[in-house]
Parts: sequence; structure tokens; C-alpha cells
Amino acid sequence: MGVVLRNLQNVVPLRRAKLRKDVEVLRHIFGVQRFDMGIICVDNRRIQRINHVYRKKNQPTDVLSFPFYEDLRPGKIPCVLQREEYNLGDIFLGVEYVMQQCKETSQDLHEALTVVTAHGICHLLGYRHETEEEWNEMQQKESYILSEFNRLTGSHLEPLTKRSTQDMRP
Amino acid sequence: MLKSVSRAVQLAARLSSSVPSAPAASRAFPRSVWSLSHSGAAAASRPRLLTAARALPTLSCGCRSLHTEGDKAFAEFLTDEIKEEKKIQKNKGLPKMSGGWELELNGTEAKLIRSLSGEKVTITFNVNNSIPPQLEEDPEHTQKSPEDEPEIVSTPNFVVEVTKPGAKSSLVFDCHFPEDETGHAEGEEESDIFTIREVSFQPEGDTEWKETSYTLNTDSLDWALYDHLMDFLADRGVDNTFADELTELSTALEHQEYIKFLEDLSTFVKSK
Repeated sequence: MGVVLRNLQNVVPLRRAKLRKDVEVLRHIFGVQRFDMGIICVDNRRIQRINHVYRKKNQPTDVLSFPFYEDLRPGKIPCVLQREEYNLGDIFLGVEYVMQQCKETSQDLHEALTVVTAHGICHLLGYRHETEEEWNEMQQKESYILSEFNRLTGSHLEPLTKRSTQDMRP
Repeated sequence: MLKSVSRAVQLAARLSSSVPSAPAASRAFPRSVWSLSHSGAAAASRPRLLTAARALPTLSCGCRSLHTEGDKAFAEFLTDEIKEEKKIQKNKGLPKMSGGWELELNGTEAKLIRSLSGEKVTITFNVNNSIPPQLEEDPEHTQKSPEDEPEIVSTPNFVVEVTKPGAKSSLVFDCHFPEDETGHAEGEEESDIFTIREVSFQPEGDTEWKETSYTLNTDSLDWALYDHLMDFLADRGVDNTFADELTELSTALEHQEYIKFLEDLSTFVKSK
């Protein structure tokens, strides 16, 4: 299957092919090319609703991850016995929220979406940032992933800072 | 150009209903019944199939048309129905599309045309059979108040033709709005707003659909290629915003045509 990409919003003009290409590079770096994944791009209204339902936070955010495998040891690639279990889960990208952040920081939207997706994949693989220690561990992983991404593609992406994301794994 | 995509539009105006089409034998039956009951020159020798055992209830008004009690009730019903439909009609006119699209109408078929740097983009759709069946979410709650009735939205299949200057062929996309099979409430769908089903090159200006042109079906297509095709359309103004506006236009046009049909029906039933 691979990456199922859906664009459910009409607020932000999205380059689907570019986003998919960047996600494929990320999957390769994470070592999860064999796993299926969903990337769903939504607007503020929709991500706020999801955030409210699953995290009791009635506000939009940049990313929400829904792992297929819960309680994974951070960074552990799931051990799969059956074909239908090659699934990491779904990532909802709050593209409108990210676009608004990009306007404030003069960042390129699609670069920001790639960074946020890397953050989302970390969550699918068990990384959390509820404590300082967890945040540092996740930050380290993201830095490595993005530095590899930059090496392979010539980009200059940087990980999310603590203030730039409000998400947590629901 | 109209004729060259007529087959594509006909294909695109497929019924979303799961009811299979009647087999050929039963489609022929009504026509044979009509010919048996027709009072032509040779009718006297034919067995009469549709002869009423008793006289039909009629209203005598001196004209040549048949007027029954049923017709009177029907006409009264239509008068009320037309009044109600006009009451709920959102706009008397049709909503405008953003992006500078020029609208051409031919009954239930609409064309949206735009030129961009010498490229011509034409969108064609038909409002016939464009309203998906409304699925009941909760079978226990069948009695709904008017406020709870689901809004009727027309989501027609549409054909996008892209013609580059000087090119002999147009790139033609058959696009659909995914059907919400499980009747999800608003906001719970996770499908793209619209999808590309088929892509083909068709001769530009030709009246006939070229069956020998390869038609790419996206059901089992490489997703990266699919995304490039979607980006291609988005660059030409056929994006999610366009798709949303198209459903608004189609819904208004369908309602307009429905009311016109009811008015024609009323005139026909009452005609003298």
C-alpha cells in the first residue's frame, strides 16, 4: 500500500506530489518503508474538532498522530507477523495551522509540513514528549532524521521547538 | 467539443444507485404493451390488452384531453409542491464560480470554460442523476422534523478537458465525488473532496470519442503519478475550492431544473 495521502481541505494550496516525495524519504530514513501510513491534510476547523474529541483541547494544532501500535518502545520498529499489520497509523496534518505559523516565521509551507510529518512519525513509533526526558529523546531522534533528510535532499530543515508544537499523541 | 466529450459525460452521468438496470426483455415489454393498446389502423385485429373493464373517471370539459379526478388531485399537489420548492430555493439565480470561469448551459448540462496562458480548460457536467442516495443513519428514527432532513447536495461526475495551443489532442480527466457509503455525519469523511477516475487523450475538436485511445484507470495507479495528476489539475484551477463551488452550482442548477420540470409537468397535466 504505502502512503495514503488525503487532502480534505481547501484553505491551503497543497503540492501533493512534493509532500508524498518528502514523506517517502522520511520513511526510508526511519526504516519503515514496508509499513503503510495515512497522511490526512485538514483545516483548522477539522483538526480542532479532532483535538477536542481525542485530547479534550478545543483548539487547532499542527499535527495529531494515531498510532496503529500503541505502547511501542520509542523508536522500536514493530515486529509484524501478518501482512495486514504492516501499518504504522495515521497522521493528521493541520495544514492551515502550519500555514499560519509559516506566515509568522517566513518559513516555506512544504518544508514546515515535512518537519511536522517527521514529528508525527516519531509519535507513531512510540516517541512522546510529556516529560523533559522524553522531549530530549524525541528531539534527538528528530534532529537525526532531519539531518539525514537534509543530506539526501540538500534541504535545511530543523526540528520543531517546544513552543512550535502543541501536539501530543492523543 | 460538446460532442467529443458527450460519451465521457454520459459515462460520467452514471447512476449511483445499486439497483441493476433492467434486462433487455423487460425494457422491451412496456413498448410492446403500448403497441398492443394503440388504436391504429390494424388495431382492430389485435387482441386488446389494455381495455378497461369499466369507464375511467373523467371530468368533462369539452376539450380533447383526458382529465381524471386523479389528474385534478395531481395538479393541485404539483401547485403546492412547486410553491414549497420555490420557498426553499436558496437563490433564484445560479451561484458564481470564482476563478473567472465562463458558464454555458444546455438544459441539465453545464460547461465551465477558462483560458490560461493559451491553454483552454473546459469542465462539463450533467445534473441528471447527480444526487447520491440519502442513507438513514439510525433506522429507529425514521420520522424527522424538517430541520433534521439532510440537505440535498448535487455531486455530479465531471469531465475536465485541457487543451494546449496547437495540440491535436486534449487531455481528458473523468472526475468523481466519492460517495459516502456509510452515511457519515458531516466532517467524518476521510476521502479526498474529489477524485480522478480515468485519464485519456482525445482528439481535439473531434466529434466522436476515440475508443482506441488508451484510458488510464486510477483504481490501481501508482499514487505518486496520481498526485502529480491532481497537482496538474490544481494548477489549472481545478482544486478542492473549485470542487466545493461546483457542487454548490450543480445543486442550484439541479433544483432549478427540478422546479422547471414540475412546472412543465403541471402544465402538461392541466393542458387543454
